[in-house]
Amino acid sequence: MIVLGLLAALFTIMLAGLGVATSIFARGRRINLVECVCLSWLLGCGIVSLLLWTCGAFCSGFLLQTVVTAACLVLAVAGWRAKRHAGAKFYVPKPATVTEWVLTVTVALEIAILILVAFKHTLGWDGLLNWEIKARYAFLGGGTIPASYYSNPGRAFSHPEYPLGIPFTELWLYLWMSEPNQFWVKIIFPLFYAACAPLLALLVARLSGNRWVGLLSAALLPFIPSISASLGGIVVGYVDVPLSVFYLAALGYLLLWFRTSDARFLIVFAACSASLTWIKSEGIILWVVIALVGLVLSFAKRRLLQFLMSVTPGLIVILIWRIYLRAVHAWPPSEFGHPSFSVLRKNIGRLPDITKILFTELSSMAHWSIFWLIAAVAVVYLCASRRLDRIALVCAVVIPAVLYSLIYVFSTWPSYSAHMTSSVPRLLLHVMPAGWLAIGLALSQTKRETETL
Amino acid sequence: MRRRLLLHFVLWSALFAVFVWISGPIVGLAVMENRFGPTETNRSIDAYLGALTGIERGSEKLPETFQRLGKNGSLVIFVRDENAQSEFLGMMIGYVSWPREVQVIQVPGPTVEKELADIKPESVAGVVFCLVEPPTWLQNSIRLGSGIVLVPVTQASP
Repeated sequence: MIVLGLLAALFTIMLAGLGVATSIFARGRRINLVECVCLSWLLGCGIVSLLLWTCGAFCSGFLLQTVVTAACLVLAVAGWRAKRHAGAKFYVPKPATVTEWVLTVTVALEIAILILVAFKHTLGWDGLLNWEIKARYAFLGGGTIPASYYSNPGRAFSHPEYPLGIPFTELWLYLWMSEPNQFWVKIIFPLFYAACAPLLALLVARLSGNRWVGLLSAALLPFIPSISASLGGIVVGYVDVPLSVFYLAALGYLLLWFRTSDARFLIVFAACSASLTWIKSEGIILWVVIALVGLVLSFAKRRLLQFLMSVTPGLIVILIWRIYLRAVHAWPPSEFGHPSFSVLRKNIGRLPDITKILFTELSSMAHWSIFWLIAAVAVVYLCASRRLDRIALVCAVVIPAVLYSLIYVFSTWPSYSAHMTSSVPRLLLHVMPAGWLAIGLALSQTKRETETL
Repeated sequence: MRRRLLLHFVLWSALFAVFVWISGPIVGLAVMENRFGPTETNRSIDAYLGALTGIERGSEKLPETFQRLGKNGSLVIFVRDENAQSEFLGMMIGYVSWPREVQVIQVPGPTVEKELADIKPESVAGVVFCLVEPPTWLQNSIRLGSGIVLVPVTQASP
């Protein structure tokens, strides 16, 4: 029964996401099924968690589960109707050469292995005490987290201020399984990887025009030890990999929109960038960076208004969550002080240390192998191309990493270096798939472009 | 032009080869370690509580123990400052004692004297010491497991 409940929960998430993804892509007549399924998982998680949170204010228990399930079905029917109305058809892109076949099978095998590996580990410290804890308390509360949780200083260790994207996806599984099962709930995290790898292949292929390069990037992705072999990866139930997948999708579809002017890509960008702010507080930094990058691209394209509309959902999520935290008197986070010029002036001396720790981390073979060296080579290639979209991609990879490092100037830990050493590896994960996107594009740079190097 | 292309190909091939050469053994080891399961509901909490305190099925036993303290009153948890194991155990106790309010107090030394005197017994149901030694004069202490002691505060019980 537990596994049946789990499958029903995953099915409803996919159904809601598939409905929305199909509605977006229906106008294109031909809908890439792989792309649609990957986006279904991302959008489905965002939709279900938001629905649980908002509907949880009005109902709880079985009624809440019924209402959210009904909403998922409505979205699926809407997608199916949009597809039928547009006369669109699903298609599966088939590998064309032996190389593509080999790489496709490799990617599929890697996904299967990582799903299996995720079930070999327990939830990690943050996976349990920052994320799963909220899902469990909400499950015990019939689908809602009592306001007393947010204001209890004794549970401030679980970061009540963090948004509920992943905890409420976990809650959805718990509601369907009828128990807070810490074993099966881990399926969420490898599924984010399963959405990431094909999406990376697809985005690199579309932006570069080389399908095998996209598949190669996706096949090399799990060789980064941080994904499977250290804290923050998918095996311990942290939200950093899911956040990185949303960032990759938002960035990739923004670049596709810049290239094609196809409004459907901007809608996907709007949904994925809004989800960034619903997954983790640091998602706001990513959202700001991608909004600024998009602003420059849209200005160059003279489509500023269209772009500004696409960042509105993210802004709404940020504002509503802030208002909610204030309304429930959430215990304020204590790991970082309020950024001010006086604190900056006082702690500016930390910068050399921060830079040193950042470079030590970037060169950590146990966490990254030589990924960041390859990414640095890709950055040189993309900058040399002197194309706005490629330089925008470089900014989207480099700026978050720099900002993430600079926030430790405001760290309130007794040892800011210990704070940074313990958390910066996970923060760097957020831009890792975007880094692979940059590598894929650099790798497939045309002859003329490489000649400018 | 052909030389540049060759250089491009050699550079990326070399980079990817070194990348996989270094990360292959690390990732391979991570993939091979541990085994699938067990599929128990409270797998993660039980594993951590078992490793930290030796308590089997701690996710069930500890909440049952805390329920005996009565419905009202908060739980005060003493943990060692800058001792990751003690702090983690304190958080785990905070996790399993839901929906009771908790207060986590970090103490600098291995024992508690002064901090205990600051507690208002009328609002507290029990005190938990996580890898912190309770004072010897404190009575009714219950050793829940290795390194974890509960002292019920009777005034708060019904």
